[in-house]
Amino acid sequence: MHKVGRFAGAALAIAFLCLWVDPAAAHIIRGEQGGFGSGFEHPLTGPDHFLAMFAVGLWGAQMGGRSVWTLPVTFPMIMVVGGVLGMIGVPFPAIEIGIALSICALGMAIALAWRPAEWVALVLIAYFALCHGYAHGAELPLSTDPADYAIGFVLATGMIHLFGIGVGLALHKPMHGRLARGLGALIGLGGLYFLVPAILAA
Amino acid sequence: MAALGLITIAAAALMAAESPLVRWTLTDTLAPVRVLALIGLGAALALIGARARIAALLLFTLGIAAALAAEDRLLASLDHIPRAATHLFYTGPMTYLAAGIALIGGARWRDWLAPAAALIFGAMIGLTIKLTDPSLHEPAFTVTPLLIAFWIPIAVMLTLRGFWRGWFPVFGRILGSWLTAIGLLYGGAALMPPKREPPPPAMALPPASAPGAERAIPGLPAPDEPAPFPGGGDRFKQP
Repeated sequence: MHKVGRFAGAALAIAFLCLWVDPAAAHIIRGEQGGFGSGFEHPLTGPDHFLAMFAVGLWGAQMGGRSVWTLPVTFPMIMVVGGVLGMIGVPFPAIEIGIALSICALGMAIALAWRPAEWVALVLIAYFALCHGYAHGAELPLSTDPADYAIGFVLATGMIHLFGIGVGLALHKPMHGRLARGLGALIGLGGLYFLVPAILAA
Repeated sequence: MAALGLITIAAAALMAAESPLVRWTLTDTLAPVRVLALIGLGAALALIGARARIAALLLFTLGIAAALAAEDRLLASLDHIPRAATHLFYTGPMTYLAAGIALIGGARWRDWLAPAAALIFGAMIGLTIKLTDPSLHEPAFTVTPLLIAFWIPIAVMLTLRGFWRGWFPVFGRILGSWLTAIGLLYGGAALMPPKREPPPPAMALPPASAPGAERAIPGLPAPDEPAPFPGGGDRFKQP
């Protein structure tokens, strides 16, 4: 009974929060953009983008081995593909849902300490990178200096990955990795915060 | 070496701030978009063996020399790329791609990729120096960026070798992915045709046959309308 009550309370709280907030806002900056500064702050000031990039680094560190670098290396490369699609204007349905889903999925993977085969993890990362890259790429040609804008947001994305790797490696041993898993659960909840309004808005 | 170079640049900036050469060096040659690619090359040089490093430096020098000597031929070969002339013949994106690919390759491939990348990098840097020279072929505007093009990668290489850590190759791969992504996006954005805003709608003017069309300025009375003054416009007509 207590468990059902707690679950219902948590579900109500999440539902209330989801109705109160805006959909995924990785691309919150509208209109013409500047150069390096705009590109650099774009991933940092979009909480959904920041959480997803951080979770990529954290998950890679949690999985260990080659995944520590293969995930953060794959992400920007595939993000470019998404960016090019965004620049060209190829229709990509449900981008907002994809971005929010990336946070949920990565958070859950960390919370459950899921260690799939490397190719499975890379395929998932690739899909999420496409969504995030598309959101950036759609705005890139509008910037006053596309070169500096691209440098800015790729650098910021990479630094968030490194931050996630650092936190993941630091939290790997304490309490047998439970702190990292707890952090993953919080990230997953944050993803729900964006996912529900994105689905409702679709 | 890195510290010495930084001190030299800082001293030059303070002592000769009004000098066109110093101002151009600080804003163009030392622009982040150029420095980052050179840092990437330096990181790649730090990760390869000694022989490969010497080969890479020699090929880098050769690339620069070839670009300075055969600028026209190289530009002609790049001219077929759309919008090349307005985007410095894509020398920027190519330097990023060269440095990125040199870094991403595994230990087995890096010793071969890095020298090849250094040759391409050198050629592109040489072209950039020639294309961005604001002077009338004044030697200082060629020598200064050349010195910087050598100083940055060598300083980064020596620094990384001096403070070597086991995780440097891993970080090198991550850095390589960033540089490759930047190069592809940088080049991709330059290849995209500029988005044109639709022209504003033409002013809605009445057709020539419509009454009042001869009115030049809206709001003023037409010639056959009574004047707005009291007594009408015939007041001063002679009988």
